[in-house]
Amino acid sequence: MIKGKGFALCLALVLLAVVSLEAHSRETELSAQAAKCLQCHAKKGIRATFAEDGESVPAQVNSAAFKDSVHGILDCTACHAAYRAEVHPKNRYRSREQFRAATTTACRGCHSNGQIRGNPIHANFLKRENEGEAPVCTDCHQAHSMSPVSGGKIFTNEKQYCMSCHRYQMEMVCRNKDKISLKVDLSELESFAHDKLRCSDCHFGFSQEEHPKRTFRSRRDYTVASSESCRRCHFDKYTKTLDSVHYAILSQGNLNAPVCNDCHGAHGIAHVSHTVKGRVLTTQKCRKCHPQVYEMYSNSVHGKALIDEQNQDVPICIDCHTTHDIQNPLTLEYHERIPQMCGNCHANPSVVMKYGLSTDVLKTYLADFHGVTLGFYKKQREKLYKPARPIAVCTDCHGTHSITGTGSSSSPTVKANLVKRCQKCHPDSNEKFPNAWLFHYKPSPSKHPLIFLLNAAYRIFLPIMIIGLILQVLLHVWRYAVNR
Amino acid sequence: MKRNPAEGKRMIRRFSRLRIFEHWGIVLCTLILFATGLSQRFWNLDFSQWLILKMGGIDNVRWIHRYTGIFFSLGLILNVVVAVAGVVRGKWAPTMFITRKDFTDAVENLKYYFGLDDHPAKCDRYDYMEKFEYWTILMGGFLMILTGVVLWFPILVTKILPGEIIPAAKVLHSNEALLIFLINALWHIINAVFSPEVFPLDTSIFTGFISRERMAREHPIELAKLEEEVPAEPAAAGSGNPAGLPVATLGTSE
Repeated sequence: MIKGKGFALCLALVLLAVVSLEAHSRETELSAQAAKCLQCHAKKGIRATFAEDGESVPAQVNSAAFKDSVHGILDCTACHAAYRAEVHPKNRYRSREQFRAATTTACRGCHSNGQIRGNPIHANFLKRENEGEAPVCTDCHQAHSMSPVSGGKIFTNEKQYCMSCHRYQMEMVCRNKDKISLKVDLSELESFAHDKLRCSDCHFGFSQEEHPKRTFRSRRDYTVASSESCRRCHFDKYTKTLDSVHYAILSQGNLNAPVCNDCHGAHGIAHVSHTVKGRVLTTQKCRKCHPQVYEMYSNSVHGKALIDEQNQDVPICIDCHTTHDIQNPLTLEYHERIPQMCGNCHANPSVVMKYGLSTDVLKTYLADFHGVTLGFYKKQREKLYKPARPIAVCTDCHGTHSITGTGSSSSPTVKANLVKRCQKCHPDSNEKFPNAWLFHYKPSPSKHPLIFLLNAAYRIFLPIMIIGLILQVLLHVWRYAVNR
Repeated sequence: MKRNPAEGKRMIRRFSRLRIFEHWGIVLCTLILFATGLSQRFWNLDFSQWLILKMGGIDNVRWIHRYTGIFFSLGLILNVVVAVAGVVRGKWAPTMFITRKDFTDAVENLKYYFGLDDHPAKCDRYDYMEKFEYWTILMGGFLMILTGVVLWFPILVTKILPGEIIPAAKVLHSNEALLIFLINALWHIINAVFSPEVFPLDTSIFTGFISRERMAREHPIELAKLEEEVPAEPAAAGSGNPAGLPVATLGTSE
């Protein structure tokens, strides 16, 4: 009894399988006409030749792929309207252009403009078609292996999927008629820092399934908006930028303030480079918005060394201004930090010794009137008096971007400039006044001998005097003790 | 001779009220000047920075220093004027002048300390150590005033003198300050507090009186002169300013 039931069940399953196989094969079966055409067109090496130039394109159709495609149920003549089994004109097309135009026309026999426009990517093509140039459908969609849009993923990786369109020259038009190229150079993308990322890692909201239509007011709007995607990974840098002067300007509504992409680019984001070439490139980024400053810098002792001598020791913009949290350099707080900034190199023997520069410059500045005062002003917070007028720091005498070598301190030009600088804060000072400053020299027998001698005299006299006085006290006490 | 009833010892008037006042003045001035000045000289010490910030910041400290400097200068000038006037008018003898005897006294004292002599040098009103202190502070004080003015008005000074005067003045001002500080604050205080004869404190500059016993030991020549003259003018006894006693001499001995 049980055996009989089992057999019946097996039989039923086999029957079901056969029926469903039957149904499936029927569903994807080629039309009789297609089968007939494929008798020839499935053959390898078959080509169609254009009448005008003798150029040819492959006319072979992969029958299996065609069978699986959404168009597999169609008759060949549904698209190739000019052909019949009995009518098969030779050299039907004059040229490749005519052929391409004809294929688009064939597609649009079924796919109406309304349907095409429903997809934001295609809408753009329609617009461009009116202007005379647009890719034809078959550039992206393989004619004979056309798969369904959803569910039938034929791309194994997202980049490949996106690039199937974005390798072409196409544009997005902003509301103010700005045009933004949407063409992506894959080779550029892959040779830079983000080569391992997927497109949707930055272009979030986009995927193989979704491609939302976005319109921007202007090209600049688009750049500012796209820089937002960087913070998903680079949150530390992003938070730093929130403290920067650039962000402050941006938040006031000035979209010209630089955002991530302006300096780092979009698809061609480079790794941080500490080579001379990389440093020069960095200065070029700042130059885009600060050309006058760059001009001064490139003529300065630092700029010349960088550009002419490929010197890696000289500072570039970011060494003083930092990168992401760039501060307003006109504030008192920034001004107060300048000696330390210059000191980073100029008090570091390994950097400046080879150029014959003194490393005492920071020490001598900090130990003198201005340096000491500045040191205290930095410590004196709100409650204590702090003048609105900044105290002289390195850049006040040496210049900032246009900084030049000092040569010898006795050179008249340096001194003449110095008087002018002194007079800014000390209006009554005359040309003798700058000599009150020892020009960063430590007093020595050759430099400022008077100061050296006075110091030396006290250095000898003071200990002798103190030892004498202490001896007197000790002898006195000793004698007192002995007498008792 | 004046007796101090509280002590029950024979006390002799040594300093007039003017000298006591002068001493207080110089104590206050130097305390403020050292606090505001040395903290600037040793600006990189944590203590100096703490002190300067407590005093209201570097600008405040500089102004306090300058104005105290004015008071100090006035005191110093007053001292010299009074001393010179007193000597010129014959009111008192120029006891603070350095003489040959001071050098021989110093040598004599050294001999005594090393046991080569059985008694210390016999000194007059001011011994050589007191004179040394007075003159270092008087001369140092004038140097401080001069260099202080240069540092206060560098622009004015460089209208006439070369610019290098300013750093030179700074070197002099800060080194001399250290010298005066060490002589005053260390040596003088050690002598006036820890010297076995006076410990715990030499009170003569505060009360104006010194014991006869100390006078006999430290200023025997003056005591001898004094006791010679006293019987001639007994009426002066008991007054705040005993006649014949050169209470105000050339300078103080703080």
